[in-house]
Amino acid sequence: MRYLRTLAVTWLSACSLVAIAGQPQAAAPAAEPEKFFTEQVRPILEKRCWECHGQDVQESSLRLDSQQGLTAGGSSGRSLTNVAQPDESYLWEVLQHGGSVAMPPDDKLPDSELTVLHEWIKLGLPWPGASSPSAVPATREERYALQRQQHWALQKISDPALPPVQNAQWVAQPLDYYILARLESHGLTPSLPADRRTLIRRLKFDLLGLPPTIDEVQAFVNDTSADAYEKLVERYLASPHYGERWGRHWLDVARYADTRGYAFDRERRYPYAYTYRDYVIRAFNEDLPYDQFILQQLAADQLCSEPNDPNLAALGFLTVGRKFNNRHLDIDDQIDAVGRGVLGLTISCARCHDHKYDPIPTEDYYSLYGVFASSKEPDEFPIIGDPTQTPGYAEFKQELDRRQAELDNFVETKRDEIAQAARRHAADYLARAITRESEESLILQPFIGLKGEEFKPRLVQRWREQLVRTAKADHPVLGPLYELALIPDEEYTTKAPTVLERWQAVVTGTEPGQLNPHVKEALQREPPHTKLDLARVYGQLLSSLYLQQQEASPAATESPSAAATAAAPFDTATVQVVEILTGPSGLTDIALSETRSLLTRADGNTYRELERKVQSFQVDSPGSPPRAMVIREDDKPHNPHVFIRGDHARPGKEVPRQFLLALAGFERKPFEQGSGRLELARLIASPDNPLTARVIANRIWMHHFSMPLVSTPSDFGTRSDPPVQADLLDHLATCLIQHKWSLKSLHRTILSSSTYRQASLTRAECAAVDPENMLYWRMNPHRLEFEPMRDAMLAVASQLDLTSGGRPAELTKEPFSLRRAVYGYIDRQDLPGLFRVFDVASPDQSCPARSRTTVPQQALFVMNSPFAMECAKQVVARTEIVSVAEVHPRIEAIYRLVFARSPSAEELRVGEEFIAAASQETAPEGHPDAWQQYAQLLLMSNAFLFVD
Amino acid sequence: MPSPRPQLPITRRELLRRAGTGLGMLGMAGLLADAGYLDQMVAAEEGYRNPLAPREPHFPAKAKHVIHLFMNGGPSHVDTFDPKPALEKYAGQNLPMENLRTERKTGAAFPSPYKFGKYGESGIEVSEIFAQTAQHIDDIAVIRSMQAEVPNHEPSLLLMNCGASVQVRPSVGSWLTYGLGTDNQNLPGFIAMCPGGYPIQETQNWQAAFLPGVYQGTYIDTRHEEVEKLVENIKNPALSLEQQRRQLDALAALNQLHSQQRGHDPALESRIHSFELAYRMQLEATDAFDVSREPKEVLDAYGPGVQARQILIARRLVERGVRFVQVWHGAGQPWDNHDDLEVNHRNLAGQCDKAIGALLSDLKRLGLLDETLVIWGGEFGRTPTVELPQAGANAGKINGRDHNHYGFTVWLAGGGVKGGQVYGATDEFGFKAVVDPVPVHDLHATIMKLMGFDHTRLTYRFAGRDFRLTDVFGNVVDQLIA
Repeated sequence: MRYLRTLAVTWLSACSLVAIAGQPQAAAPAAEPEKFFTEQVRPILEKRCWECHGQDVQESSLRLDSQQGLTAGGSSGRSLTNVAQPDESYLWEVLQHGGSVAMPPDDKLPDSELTVLHEWIKLGLPWPGASSPSAVPATREERYALQRQQHWALQKISDPALPPVQNAQWVAQPLDYYILARLESHGLTPSLPADRRTLIRRLKFDLLGLPPTIDEVQAFVNDTSADAYEKLVERYLASPHYGERWGRHWLDVARYADTRGYAFDRERRYPYAYTYRDYVIRAFNEDLPYDQFILQQLAADQLCSEPNDPNLAALGFLTVGRKFNNRHLDIDDQIDAVGRGVLGLTISCARCHDHKYDPIPTEDYYSLYGVFASSKEPDEFPIIGDPTQTPGYAEFKQELDRRQAELDNFVETKRDEIAQAARRHAADYLARAITRESEESLILQPFIGLKGEEFKPRLVQRWREQLVRTAKADHPVLGPLYELALIPDEEYTTKAPTVLERWQAVVTGTEPGQLNPHVKEALQREPPHTKLDLARVYGQLLSSLYLQQQEASPAATESPSAAATAAAPFDTATVQVVEILTGPSGLTDIALSETRSLLTRADGNTYRELERKVQSFQVDSPGSPPRAMVIREDDKPHNPHVFIRGDHARPGKEVPRQFLLALAGFERKPFEQGSGRLELARLIASPDNPLTARVIANRIWMHHFSMPLVSTPSDFGTRSDPPVQADLLDHLATCLIQHKWSLKSLHRTILSSSTYRQASLTRAECAAVDPENMLYWRMNPHRLEFEPMRDAMLAVASQLDLTSGGRPAELTKEPFSLRRAVYGYIDRQDLPGLFRVFDVASPDQSCPARSRTTVPQQALFVMNSPFAMECAKQVVARTEIVSVAEVHPRIEAIYRLVFARSPSAEELRVGEEFIAAASQETAPEGHPDAWQQYAQLLLMSNAFLFVD
Repeated sequence: MPSPRPQLPITRRELLRRAGTGLGMLGMAGLLADAGYLDQMVAAEEGYRNPLAPREPHFPAKAKHVIHLFMNGGPSHVDTFDPKPALEKYAGQNLPMENLRTERKTGAAFPSPYKFGKYGESGIEVSEIFAQTAQHIDDIAVIRSMQAEVPNHEPSLLLMNCGASVQVRPSVGSWLTYGLGTDNQNLPGFIAMCPGGYPIQETQNWQAAFLPGVYQGTYIDTRHEEVEKLVENIKNPALSLEQQRRQLDALAALNQLHSQQRGHDPALESRIHSFELAYRMQLEATDAFDVSREPKEVLDAYGPGVQARQILIARRLVERGVRFVQVWHGAGQPWDNHDDLEVNHRNLAGQCDKAIGALLSDLKRLGLLDETLVIWGGEFGRTPTVELPQAGANAGKINGRDHNHYGFTVWLAGGGVKGGQVYGATDEFGFKAVVDPVPVHDLHATIMKLMGFDHTRLTYRFAGRDFRLTDVFGNVVDQLIA
């Protein structure tokens, strides 16, 4: 059953829905009150009531999540279970929205739900399980404590005792005991060892994702030394192609892609995602201990001392996910990748409410949220390694600087334009800052000069704040404005003249307490009758003096930066007024960094275009040095609040940043260092963590046997089935930890077992007992995934380019890259049809295991694609083929290339017949001839695609 | 050499056990007998072999296929299916209500430049630009009270297609092919056609998300007319069908040898079989996409142009058993008329109105309308007020409408829909749905019901949760169902 579930999640789900379809629509309430309650009533209560009348919140002191709560009632003092007639029940009254209290508060429940509740009330509000409360934990905490004690995956890992077996000489590794004991207890025997040809093909695809050559096969077959197999294992584990194969398995978990997702007209590509991919490949090749691997992926920024440490690229694990243009969802993606990918826990389920099954309160989700929300991607990713080592770096840098300067100049020009416009039309901003006039009426004022997008609403707030800071009663320029603006609107006409009169009597000058002569003159000439008028008079004064000054000495006023240095030929009074506009932190001192948000739509488009020119160049230029997609801690860590129902607009209680209750227990302590991300990483990568080692051991096993021990590789929660071979899993996890988290040593353990080396042929007597091979009485034959299939096609055609690392290559568009598939460009927004058709992992979420579907589009690819045709052509173009003229030996030669063996007599006959028939027609120039057609059908064959 | 007949590679026990997991075995057996050929024999043991084999929904339903005519960009409801004479009264003036906040600023009332007329026995009013479609109004249920969540294309497209505006969730077509499989194994089960490139948000509109990749929509660029450019790898560029037959026969012989040595593993058998399916798919797809095989009167009825062609292809596809066909108006967002609305909406409707009318007639003529749910609409509607000019946005013109998610129109026809009715209403001016609002989740729940599913029970377990199209929302609008 497990086999089925992993291989055909789809099918099972589809089946279960059909199964449901066969059942009656609803449980008959009276006959099956329990079913009626759990299937129909409880979901309504949960959906509609518990948010306010449940465990966390008890509005009106009412709880509706237990029978006791119902009986007790709420602050109304009316019990809800005291019912004689349903229609008279208080509960019903409230639900009807008839009386003073109406629930739910917004809308009445839909009729369908009311009908159910009415029925429930009529039955006397039965609450199954209520009679034996001891069976069910009363509180959330009790349930969690119980699950922590009981759920298999949360128990400490220890190496289980070896079970006794009869056929002890079969055992090659301790792990074989667990397998063999179970086989024997079912009366089964393991299969014979696979022959060497089968074994080397299995091993090389398994470890390297590549087909063995005929020479390799023959050397292994002829190697008579006792440790021939072990030597082979070592050789493959030491190959640089091992990391390409196993790194790809991890990239499935890490939802790796080279693009951010939908980006409208911005740069979609992640220029440096490849550095994470290469980091992963290198980590596998170097056998970086798995605990270090996890630590680096979660907190390399805090572990690397050098700013250009290549290991910084590890943080790509947190940053290569889809970007949603929504910070909360970006963080959710990080929590999910860590949760399911590393811990095998569906933590994201606790985003809107407590986890429904696992001991993960919603608070824990937000504790982790706080950790990840306390770090951000920097504006610019750090270069890793020595950039001058990148060929073409100097030219790259020059051109990049030129493009960057173009962008910077544009921003500066626009900033100055915006600032100048605001200075020339100071009244426009003052009017908005100090009056409460509506936009509609302001637009009609003749003095308003800025039209449409020229006016920047975002600047108004700055003017307000600036005025609050500078305008004081004794300010020689702003004093009158300050006093007049403070008069309530309706009293302005009566009170303003007195104020103005008083100011006219103040001594002129530029010292505090005096009145600037320009201001005095302006207010005398045009005493403002309204606040709007006040804004106009002041604004026009500011603008006119600014313009005067600018005409006389443009440099002094052109830009805020120049103002300080230029000599001022003006009197102090003028300078004092103008500086209110242009001085440092004056009303129009706009920072370059805020310019972008002030651009018009058209300028915004230009900005994005220039920005994209910079970014695309970094992506495309071969001289662009590699950078790490890091995150960095904020100076001040984020104090997380629970978002009620996951809605960030509804923050609930504050929670500490700390580790999961499920793993750290009730005695856990909040994190202390910064965001706590490093502390979190250490707790995850700890040998005491019961999940981390089990989860990765299960993944490793899954890839060796095409079948996991735990059928849900990214969910070890309470809904996962305990593995049949739980002892084996714990043994593997123990081995891993004992061997200092070396994955290669775990491979060795598994590969040298007798279990792994079994033949894959089916055996009727075993299939009758265990058709899905849950007991491992044979090796599972399996189909190659997309990457090894494609790479093998290129390999047998001698076309495969084995260069490692670097920028992604285009696999699906001509000219096809000949690099290994792991280096293929993955656009998550437009995943090539080919990848989907062949079940390549979706890069949108961490992928526990790939689907395995068989659909005709897969066949069409090998039958018709230019790629497949080209591979076939190249196979027969090889000298060892071309040099053989006779049909029979040529078929032999092709078999040696494609299958690394000779054909059987029947295979030979099929080949000869095909060549004879196909050769009767002459292929038009450039069309595939009989041999090419033949080579292609061999590439299409099951013998090529399946591994025994 | 004859093409091989794969043996039925499973034991009775295995068969029953799998049935025990929930498959209605009798139903499946009946289906096998009906079809009477290999594909379904293989489908019977299904375990992990053919995820697209046809399956029964939760309860019997009329609709078996969907054609979704997607007017991407947001067609204006007040200019098409939701007449608002009150706008005339305020033409050029502010409405007596505050303009609702949309993506951009809008100003005065902007009465529709088009005439509306009453059609059919139901007398439902439709704009002159959809006069041909309107001939079928008695088969159409016009939902005038649709509501989306925000006035922006990207989230609204995702909401309309996948039921969630930001997160990555499977599309409606993916859910339905997952739930129902597809009737014709020689064609993809879910096809999304869009001439000239992708709509905004691209392939996410027909994504399978966490469902297996086979349920993703297959994209077809209908700008092309040659079938090999339409469907990836559908035709060998060099080999004739005869040559390919010979190749496949030799392949089958080799695969049989391979299989015999391995005790007929179902995984091997199903791959063998997939080549036969692929071979047939080449023929069938070529046929399905080649509208030139239609009689002249049919071609004339649909009219000229790419819209007509792809709408006709849609009919040919459902006729051949494709489960879900989405017909997008064009790359980008053609219906997004922030300016020059009068000219543009007339043009756009002109490109598809005749063909939509022909499609409805045609489906009826072929007896397919009852089992084909036709959906027309965009991701939202447009404001009844004019969009104010903005440099860089609408070229400073004052003759278009902004996005409007508060109220808009979608119509349904065929497939068990109760036609000839208007459901729900927007306010006097068409700004907001005020009578019987239908959020997109409710539309989805209703589509599911029409296809035979309880939307709360068609679920898929991923990452520890049982996901469904409508998330925790959705109420079926029963009045829309006949």
